Parts: sequence; structure tokens; C-alpha cells
Amino acid sequence: MVNSSLARIACFVEKYNFPEPEEHMALNNFKMAAENMGHDFNFLFRENLLEISKYDAVFIRATTDPLYTAYIVSKTAWELGLNVIDDPKSIQICGNKIHQYALFRKHNVPHIPTIFLNKDEFHHKRILEIFEIFGRPVVIKAPYTSFSRYVEKVACESSFRDVAKRFFKRSDVLAVQKFMPTAFDWRVGVLNSEVLYVCKYMVPKGRWKHGAKRKGKPSFVWGRTIALKRENAPVALKETALQACEVVGHGLYGVDIKEVDGNYVVVEVNDNPSIYAGYEDLRSKDLYGKIIEYLVN
Amino acid sequence: MTVAIPCIQSSGVTCVLVVSNIDLTTNLPTMKPSTFLGSSIKDFTLNINNDYRYLKTGYYVSLHAEILGNPVIPPSENIIDAYRTPILLLKASKAGIPTLPYIVTDSVKQIISQFDFPVVVFAVNPFSYDGFRIAKNRSALYRAVKSLGISYKFAVCAQPLIGEMISFKSIFGKCDQAEVIKEIARKVYMVFRIPICKLHVQRVGEKAYLCGFQPLKREELLPADLRMISEEIFQISKNGEFFIG
Repeated sequence: MVNSSLARIACFVEKYNFPEPEEHMALNNFKMAAENMGHDFNFLFRENLLEISKYDAVFIRATTDPLYTAYIVSKTAWELGLNVIDDPKSIQICGNKIHQYALFRKHNVPHIPTIFLNKDEFHHKRILEIFEIFGRPVVIKAPYTSFSRYVEKVACESSFRDVAKRFFKRSDVLAVQKFMPTAFDWRVGVLNSEVLYVCKYMVPKGRWKHGAKRKGKPSFVWGRTIALKRENAPVALKETALQACEVVGHGLYGVDIKEVDGNYVVVEVNDNPSIYAGYEDLRSKDLYGKIIEYLVN
Repeated sequence: MTVAIPCIQSSGVTCVLVVSNIDLTTNLPTMKPSTFLGSSIKDFTLNINNDYRYLKTGYYVSLHAEILGNPVIPPSENIIDAYRTPILLLKASKAGIPTLPYIVTDSVKQIISQFDFPVVVFAVNPFSYDGFRIAKNRSALYRAVKSLGISYKFAVCAQPLIGEMISFKSIFGKCDQAEVIKEIARKVYMVFRIPICKLHVQRVGEKAYLCGFQPLKREELLPADLRMISEEIFQISKNGEFFIG
């Protein structure tokens, strides 16, 4: 536990965190919340990693993945005994969807029907079996997916082979899931086993996921975000989100959930969830203070 | 916490499930990784692979064993940490293994301000996993940081080069090197429990410092290495293996 009366907080960011004004504003909101509570709050870039040991707590706001710099920051802080969001265990589980779905399966967390496909099973017979089980199309998900990337829908064997071959370049196991189209995904923000905020991530017209790549362009089109007061969100939704987080850890998570025929099924639990000013925080302005408070206590 | 293999048969032989992507000479039954990944066998799992990198089959075998609740060598967390040079060095140094100072950065200027030339540079990105670059001057350092950082998109890990770089195979913490280096290999195995790997060490007179860790290519494992791996597995199955849980 750090001295919560005046803690020194490092917020690890990368240059790409600042061009989006809503994200920049959210980072400033974290800084203001921390300073209003009497804490020091400094942004920590790659160039300042030697300074980690000078802080009491580290808050990561850059893309986490066990192979990225953010994991080095998290693990270093953890090994030095600092409080850290996102902690290395959460990054390990959320950064690899195979790990996560295996835990969901083990602990009976309701989730999208999923088959693991390893490289040695990547053949005609297995592909047909998968289509037989899930119907067409199916969704192929690389374990390292984030921000809707590396998740693709395929309806025939040749597309299946093309996508899987691409994803197999980095991972020897992939997740193949039943296609469950919905107009939106619920996003439930969870901190230390409590619901922090609730939103609907709308799917843009003619697309099937919240963030979709524009045809022939590197940019993405994103659906709207509709925030709800957390007390107005369905109880079963919040319970499902908390159940999913329970198998991951007690940090800060964004849980994506689909509502299908009145049932809630978890799409995935994300560490380092997006927090943009005017979006996730719209009906939950207290989230900044709550996260800072958790970080220093 | 020190934990022993839990299951001892009446014959005195420990139940060890050997999952291997390498053809071994042992008489113990071994299972192919793809078969194990589709199974739910509960046993102490000894995961033998030339390449345990994150997202590769060697990693998934350990992860699958952990999900099943099996004690496993090596643990998946150690796999992630050992291949990330700054974490390797941090955990090694906490365990008393000699290391040199290092920095993680994408800035050449910062490296120059911290260390004199020459410096040794390791990649810290998702795509590069083998070897290192030695930079003897500023322009070589720029080239190394640009190349290993994939045009400055990722950071690198730089350490001062004060001796001779020595790279060697370590099999269950054993190697064919000088005593001071053997001791490093043994301790690295004690900390990370990764049975097969290549270690990079700096030799400075009578001292040696751990610098880096990488997978072996399958063709780097010679018949003598395979015999050694098989013998180690036999010993573990006979006598048990103590590992850090």
C-alpha cells in the first residue's frame, strides 16, 4: 500500500495517445482528479522509464500486450512493489484471448461459443467441421486482437484459409467463434469487482462490429457510444460482467457483452479499456476519481 | 514457495507427462503438443520445446497445463518474462544473478548519455527474438536502434559492453562453459525453469553477466543435446524435480 495522503503517480502513455482530443482530455481529467486529491501525477514516456522507481503507483494508458513496452512498464512496476493498473497478470490474460476463453470455459462464464484451432488442425476436414458446428459465417479471432483489429468474418473455406494463414503468422492457436450479429455490444467498465460505467457501443450501419476498417483505407469507422447511468443498466448484465472479471483479476477492465434472446454472453474482457471524455464518462463522471483512489490505496 | 512433483508411483517413479516437439531418446512416453492441447490429462507436465516464445506452441502447452491445474515446467508467466530482456534482467538481478545496468528506450541520445561505447542492443518488440547488435559508435547505434526498434516504433534494451559476448545453449541449466558461466546458466534455470534456451552472457575477466535469452532453432539441437535432454527427463521422472511455484 502506498502513502495515499500524497502519492506520486506515473501515467505511462505513448505518443499516439494524444492526437485524439477526447483521449487527451480524458488524460487531463485523470491528472486533475489526482491533483485535486493531493497527489502528484506525471506522464511517463518511453524516454523516462528509468524513473519508474521514483513513483508509488503506475497507471498505464498505452496499448498493453505482453510483447509491447507497456508490459515492460507494468512488470517492472510490479516487481518493484508499486501499485499498477494494468497489472501484469491482467495483461497476460486479456492480451491473449485463448488464455481468456480457456478461463471462461473452466469457470463457466457465459461467452460466445468458441473453438480453438491450432496450426496442426488447419486442414479441410477441420474447417468443414467448424462450419458444421457454427454454421456460416464464422468469426476468426487472433488472440492478440484489440480495438476490433484481427477479428474477421469468413463464410467459405478459401476466406477461412486466407484469414487463418495471416493470423497464424504470429500465433500458433486461433479462436474461431459463432457469428452473433447484434446492433450494439454492451461495454461495462469494471474496477476492482465494481461496475464503474456502462455504455452501448453501437455497430455502424452495414457493419458487424463496433470498429470496422474502411474499404481500401487504413482508417476505421467507429459506431456511436451511448452512455447509461450504471444504476439504470440491467442487473443481469452487470452480474455477467463481474463474473467474467472475477476470473481475470481485480483491476480496471472493459467487458464487451452481447445480448442475445435476453441472455448475456461475454465477447471479451479488455484490460486498459478506452476512456474518452464525453463518451464512457458521460454518465459516470466520478470514474476518474475512483480509479485514482484505487490506484493509491 | 518450493513445490515437489506431487505424484509418486509405488515403483518410486514420478508421474511425468512429457509433452515434446522434439524426438527424444528417452523410453518415457511422450506426447505431441497438438495432442496435448486437445486433451485434459491431469499430471505434472514437462513441456519440452526448442522454442517457448509467447504465442508459439511451446507457450500454449504450458498455458494449457496451467488451465488444467497441472504443475508445469516452464510456467507460462516465466516464458513471457524470460524473452523480454528488461524483465529477464530485472528478475535475474533480484535473484542474485549478475547483470549489467540497462535502459529501455527508443532514443539514441539517451543511450549515449547513459553508457560509453561500445553498447549491446537487444530488441523489445513483438517480431524480433534472436540475437543482438553491438554498436561501437554513434552511427552504428542509430542503425541498431532503427533496425531493432522497427524504425523507432518500438523500444530497445541497451547495455554497456565491457567484455566479450558469449552465446551458448543451456539445457536444464547445464552448459559446456567456464564455471562462472555455468553458475549463471544454473541460476537462470532455477529462476525461470525454461529447459531449453540460448543465453547471452558477457565475460569480463573472472566475472560474467547475464545479458539476454532466446529460443533455439531445432537444428541447433545436436544428437548429444537430445541425449542430455532425455537423460534429464529420466532423472526428473526418477528423482522428482523441485521447482519454484
